[in-house]
Amino acid sequence: MEVLLVVSLFLPTLGAVFIWTGAAPARQTALAVSLVVLAAALALLSAYPASVLPTQKVPGEFAVIEDLGWLGVTTPWLDIRLSVGLDGLSILFYVLTALLTLVAVLVSWEDIRHGPRAFYGHLMLLETGMLGVFAARDLILFYIFFELTLLPLFFLIGIWGSEARQYAAIKFFLFTLAGSVLTFIALLAISLWHGYHSGRLTFSIPEITAGLAARPMELTTQLVLFLGLFAGFAIKVPLVPLHTWLPLAHVEAPTAGSILLAGILLKVGSYGFVRFCLPMLPEATIACLPWLIVLSVAGIVYGSLVALAQRDLKRLIAYSSIGHLGFCMLGVFSLSRVAVAGGVLQMINHGISTGALFALVGMIYERFHTRQIADFGGLARRLPVWAFFMGLMVLASIGLPGLNGFAGEVMVLVGFFQRTWAEAHCPAGWFPLFAPLSVLAVLGVVLGAWYMLWMTERVVFGPLRLPGCGPEAGTLAHPPVGHLAGESSGTENSSHSVSDLKPREVWALAPLAVLVAWIGVHPGFFIRFLEPTIWHLTAPADRALARRLAQEGPQELFAVDQVPGWFATWHSSGSQVPAAPAEKVKPPSKPYERQMPGDFAGPPTDEDTPLASEATKAGLGGAKLVEFVPRKQSG
Amino acid sequence: MVEVLLVLAVAAPLVAAGLTAVLGPRILRERSHIPAVAGVAVAFLASALLAGWWFITAPAGGSEAAQQFTLDPAAGPLIPHLGREMLVTLWTWTKVDEALQAPSLPGSASPVVRPFDISITLRVDALTLFMLVTVTSVSLLVVIYSIGYMAGDPGYWRFFAYISLFVFSMMMLVSVSNFLLLYVFWEAVGLCSYLLIGFWYSRPAAAAAGKKAFLVNRVGDFGFALGVFLLWITYGTLNMHDTPAVPGILGEMRLVSGPQGFVGGSLGIAICLLLFLGACGKSAQFPLHVWLPDAMEGPTPVSALIHAATMVTAGVYLVVRCAPLFQVAPEAQLVVTCIGTFTALLAALIALTQTDLKRILAYSTISQLGYMFAAAGLSTTLAVAAAMFHLFTHAFFKALLFLSAGSVMHATGGEIDIRRLGGLGRKLPVTQAMFLIGALALAGVFPLAGFWSKDSILHEIALQVGQMPLAEIVFWGLLVGAFLTAFYIFRAYFLAFFGPEKLPEVAISAHSSAHEFSGQGHAVHESPPVMLVPMILLACGAVAAGWIYFLPGGVVGLLESTPSLAGGLGGPAVEVGGDQEAHSSGGSALQSAEKLAQQVPWLGSAAAIGGILLAAILYLPFGRGLVEQLTKITKAAGLYTISYGKFFFDEVYELLIVRPLRGLSEWCYAVDQRGIDQSAVDGTGEAVLTAGRMVRGLGHGMLSGYALLMIAAVVIFLGLWLL
Repeated sequence: MEVLLVVSLFLPTLGAVFIWTGAAPARQTALAVSLVVLAAALALLSAYPASVLPTQKVPGEFAVIEDLGWLGVTTPWLDIRLSVGLDGLSILFYVLTALLTLVAVLVSWEDIRHGPRAFYGHLMLLETGMLGVFAARDLILFYIFFELTLLPLFFLIGIWGSEARQYAAIKFFLFTLAGSVLTFIALLAISLWHGYHSGRLTFSIPEITAGLAARPMELTTQLVLFLGLFAGFAIKVPLVPLHTWLPLAHVEAPTAGSILLAGILLKVGSYGFVRFCLPMLPEATIACLPWLIVLSVAGIVYGSLVALAQRDLKRLIAYSSIGHLGFCMLGVFSLSRVAVAGGVLQMINHGISTGALFALVGMIYERFHTRQIADFGGLARRLPVWAFFMGLMVLASIGLPGLNGFAGEVMVLVGFFQRTWAEAHCPAGWFPLFAPLSVLAVLGVVLGAWYMLWMTERVVFGPLRLPGCGPEAGTLAHPPVGHLAGESSGTENSSHSVSDLKPREVWALAPLAVLVAWIGVHPGFFIRFLEPTIWHLTAPADRALARRLAQEGPQELFAVDQVPGWFATWHSSGSQVPAAPAEKVKPPSKPYERQMPGDFAGPPTDEDTPLASEATKAGLGGAKLVEFVPRKQSG
Repeated sequence: MVEVLLVLAVAAPLVAAGLTAVLGPRILRERSHIPAVAGVAVAFLASALLAGWWFITAPAGGSEAAQQFTLDPAAGPLIPHLGREMLVTLWTWTKVDEALQAPSLPGSASPVVRPFDISITLRVDALTLFMLVTVTSVSLLVVIYSIGYMAGDPGYWRFFAYISLFVFSMMMLVSVSNFLLLYVFWEAVGLCSYLLIGFWYSRPAAAAAGKKAFLVNRVGDFGFALGVFLLWITYGTLNMHDTPAVPGILGEMRLVSGPQGFVGGSLGIAICLLLFLGACGKSAQFPLHVWLPDAMEGPTPVSALIHAATMVTAGVYLVVRCAPLFQVAPEAQLVVTCIGTFTALLAALIALTQTDLKRILAYSTISQLGYMFAAAGLSTTLAVAAAMFHLFTHAFFKALLFLSAGSVMHATGGEIDIRRLGGLGRKLPVTQAMFLIGALALAGVFPLAGFWSKDSILHEIALQVGQMPLAEIVFWGLLVGAFLTAFYIFRAYFLAFFGPEKLPEVAISAHSSAHEFSGQGHAVHESPPVMLVPMILLACGAVAAGWIYFLPGGVVGLLESTPSLAGGLGGPAVEVGGDQEAHSSGGSALQSAEKLAQQVPWLGSAAAIGGILLAAILYLPFGRGLVEQLTKITKAAGLYTISYGKFFFDEVYELLIVRPLRGLSEWCYAVDQRGIDQSAVDGTGEAVLTAGRMVRGLGHGMLSGYALLMIAAVVIFLGLWLL
């Protein structure tokens, strides 16, 4: 397994060298390399240990290489190691990276006309960077890979992008770099602090995690370091209001860049929060939690609202990403099990469906050279296969049940709802903030459907409109019959002879479509991978939250029942007087109000059934059965 | 064996959908209906067999024996079985261990640790079977009808793929045993509805109607989702059935303890009202009814099946299924009944003046669903049975009416504006007869189906008069609604089928312009047998479906073995009667209510006959002058405009919700671009550049300048040090 990990990690770099030096054809090499990497990643996935072994530093960790013989050997005083490994959290991202790179290679096949050598070289280098971020077990190594993702993408956007590519590339680069430098300082400080207190300087992520769990920092130190980590990760996610580089970068980036940016690079931020903030700085995370939740929900609502105002397909999807990432972060910061699992699953989901959406937009951009929603209409008639994939991904993106987006979103929302409203889950001080947010977050789902369906209605459905041809005769409310019947004949009055998706493009989208359905139908399969590791990583924050709850006391829920007067009078006067013996519907021989054998006349005693004992505790008196039940705290 | 039957019933339409989607465009083409018809037929047969087996194997002696006792060794004491259910678990959708950890749940004293465990579990009980048989039988007939109706459409295979998918989703909706999965298929049927409304997607109206339906339903689903979340944190599970570890929300362990097993109070009310918001969306109740009339942009068989007979009744099913929850929240019950009554009247008033035949039927559907909710809101077993009974009969006669309308459209080339039609009876005798049967059933004329079910509902409401607040208003409101119903449906009938022959030009000209039809040049003609036979079968249903009333035990007898209906219902009614004061005052009220209830058949029939007669007077040829006068008067009073304008809900929503949100979104975007990006972000960049520019002056390369700076710095630091 370890061999596979190393091979899959560095094969792309090797490929990049080959491509750059001209020793191998660019496209074919990139394809071959990404296929091999994907195969290796899948093999790694299948080798995932089903059980948690006592030898693992992190539950679910496997394919661990402590040191590939690098600085750790030569510089024992500075224990930086080339240490890589996978665990339950990273393995899914690892496979997703390999898959999306393959998709990126395929969709760029004909799109990139000038400089394919340089393009594919950068793409391969980017793959190593992305894989490395998820595989790194050493802080310094993590940061190196983190930055390694930046440069190739900077060139991809700056050289192969659209009109304003250079502005976008520089903005992307500076914005991200500014944050990641702070993150780097904070990471260094964490390991120095840990080294100072444990007596041995190490940069090993599992060791620091374990060390800090055993001996946490003071709150102020945590808070300062948290701000440093937050700067880099929040920009990367991006959380509102640090998001403005994202739409620009997406719009200007070439299709492959958009796919990888949305699919993988944004996840580096949310991955960082789960990997570093929650286990290493739990108290600070809890202290900032209300703010983080506000930012997440703001992302959901604000991202959706702004997306509604977009006229450019890529921009619309970019802003939808902000909304989706809001869901991911909401899940992670809810810190209830369902939500965390859902949040991480939603990261994967977003990578698949948004990656696919960018690929789909790229495909029509390649054909029509425009991305304006207003330029398109009724593409379902001209490009039915494209329309099928577009419809599927749009539905996945708006969280239609049975597809992947639903599984993630619903778990996040269930979890956050539980954090807010369930008994003894929400510190009293947070409740007034969380209660409206929990409703707003669910409303975000409605908004999400609105802009996506609006876009679909314009672009995919409606009368056929292709850029440059103007509206067709078929814009009449009732177009003549022959019009639809002739859809396969291809003789319609269009100057373009636009073809539907080519097999290459279908092959690029098919695995994503399969995953969309698979995760939707059986998300449990994927959650199973995550579980041991994310419970391990969120445990410190969980404990911190429990302490906070104990300190502050949980929110009392439904303590006072406010009932309108007229309801109360109706109520006490006996509402449910029995339906009279109904001769009409039932023969009188069988009176309806039969006595239940389970002694309905009186409330069952505790010994009756396990449930009966629960029921009598519900606070319902025997005299008035339909009582307003105050939910009591039973400390 | 029996489990196989259930899985087969559900899986057959899914397989059919898959087959049609894969083979349809290339191989099957105009034979694409074969998998769909076969799949739905298998589903119907399996459901019917299952229902037959269910009732044959029912414990002898009916309800009494259904409550047999079994010894549960784990629990120790006897657990009475309140009803009968059968569960088939397929696989675990997702599972998170120890998901809910709370000191206690409202229903329990001990600390709880509950898994978030969503299993794909199908259930069979009387209620599910009732729905399954209704859904599959109407579906089968409509699918067969569609063979003729959709012939020649370029999207032929797409239609059958969608409709099979719909049948699958609807069957799952009524047979899953978990609230989250109920939500899943709730949205899945919504998706099918969206796809089928927008079936002719190149019509802008159809595409817009599809989107509108989806979004309005999303608003309802928003409530449903919140309700499901509340259920989760209240009951610590989302299963309806009991599992060994956790009592289900509607499981027998809870039901056996009656109302005490459920959480009432404001939490209970909140849960019920949120669930009802979802039901309002799907079943097009006020204030979310606006999508259903627009949904008529879809092909007519879709209107018949999805937007009249089956999908829109999902909301009623939800309320009925959750009856025990509603029963501990009387306020929520009252809201359901009142909204149902209000919607029934509102939609009937709108239907009075509409001129589009399909829209009249759509408003009629909304109105009839209102009747079902009015009854379902009472949550007693009898009332719930009445609601389900009406759901059953309505499925037949409304589907029949829609298919007749479709037959009219087929004949006239898509024309359904009743102002431009007239005297169709001579050309379309069978269609006319079918429409008449449907209209009579809808109006509630003895002995057709609608009579029995509508009277059951009115009967239950009448019994509540004096006990439930507003019950009197509800009763008379619904009675007026019955009168209006008879009037508007016969108005449509007389206008379309009687009077001087009026035919749209398109039908006479060589090509029909609505691409809904294959465009063969034709004169007005009767539909082919493949369409007429399903209509005739539905007409038999419309006549005879009401006669299940005469089964031993009545409709209640069919449903009462459902655990959630057999258990708690009637329980609190018995108990509350123990209150002395209420009992004495309730006694006399009860008698007058009974008196009223006995008059229901006469009152109902009078309303129906009155409505029909009025329509005949006004709209048969000899009354034309009268109707013009009446229109003039009502127009002057503004009443006509309000009704014709559908009470302007669309306009108000547009003004109050859509526009402000659009504006907000534009504003947010402006803030995003100018406020955040250009000011804050680019401003930071500018600030850095400016700072650089300012400092740049220092690096001018003149030695004397550097020396001066150095001296100044030394002086300053010295000064600081000295101080």
